[in-house]
Amino acid sequence: MSRVRVVDNSPLGNTPYHRPAKCIHVYNKTGVGKVGDKILLAIKGQKKKALIIGHKMPGPRMMPRFDSNNVVLIEDNGNPTGTRIKVPVPSSLRRLEGEYSKVLAIAQKFV
Amino acid sequence: MRIEKCYFCSGPVYPGHGMMFVRNDCKVFRFCKSKCHKNFKKKRNPRKVRWTKAFRKSSGKELTVDNSFEFEKRRNEPFKYQRELWNKTEGQAAGEGGSHQRGQKEYPPYPGSSCRLKKGKQLEKEEAISEVKKNIHLIRAPHAGKAKMMEDKMVQKLQEDVEMGEDQ
Repeated sequence: MSRVRVVDNSPLGNTPYHRPAKCIHVYNKTGVGKVGDKILLAIKGQKKKALIIGHKMPGPRMMPRFDSNNVVLIEDNGNPTGTRIKVPVPSSLRRLEGEYSKVLAIAQKFV
Repeated sequence: MRIEKCYFCSGPVYPGHGMMFVRNDCKVFRFCKSKCHKNFKKKRNPRKVRWTKAFRKSSGKELTVDNSFEFEKRRNEPFKYQRELWNKTEGQAAGEGGSHQRGQKEYPPYPGSSCRLKKGKQLEKEEAISEVKKNIHLIRAPHAGKAKMMEDKMVQKLQEDVEMGEDQ
């Protein structure tokens, strides 16, 4: 039940709530989510899918390590809920298999 | 591909080496090795850690103002291609030490070696050669060059005989 930081400018992610957004499920064979994995979030009493964009755990050597577990809210079909991502996004997302092009399109800074 | 600078020690970070850390204020920190990364995590100030370039520059142990530093700073602006400039730079890039190394001593090629001791090797060689020449009788067989010497003497004698014969 990791607490997670929503990084886009969606209203659901940015309106203050007395409980932080928590990850309740990882759509992965192992229960461990890495960059590019879809997860289920519990935000403001609702369930919402999200995409992991950076995490505190050190990963493959050429991937940057972030200071917080960053996440972008996503619809079921993969479209991002917000319109802008101001936080730096790892450029290795481009190479991952999956439809991340819309998320990459709204990202403003790459690392 | 670009050779970055380590945040802590200011050394070069080649592609495939080191670690990158992104802070929540979007500042990116690159480290060349885990030594620098661990010191950073311990919240050490690189300006106070004696082996880093930041310390050396801030305490005046190294040249800070020099013309060669301008070349490093200029890297970020894209350069329009000029053929003569390109050719000229290629000649200079063949490894001539920058002038900012003027104030430093020349560091040995690998740790533990010392350029000071290279002269000793040369002297040793010369000594060895003179020793061998002095004591060659220990190594050479006693009859070693004698056959050749006899031959040379014979040749010389024959020549003298011929000359004597001509004179007469």
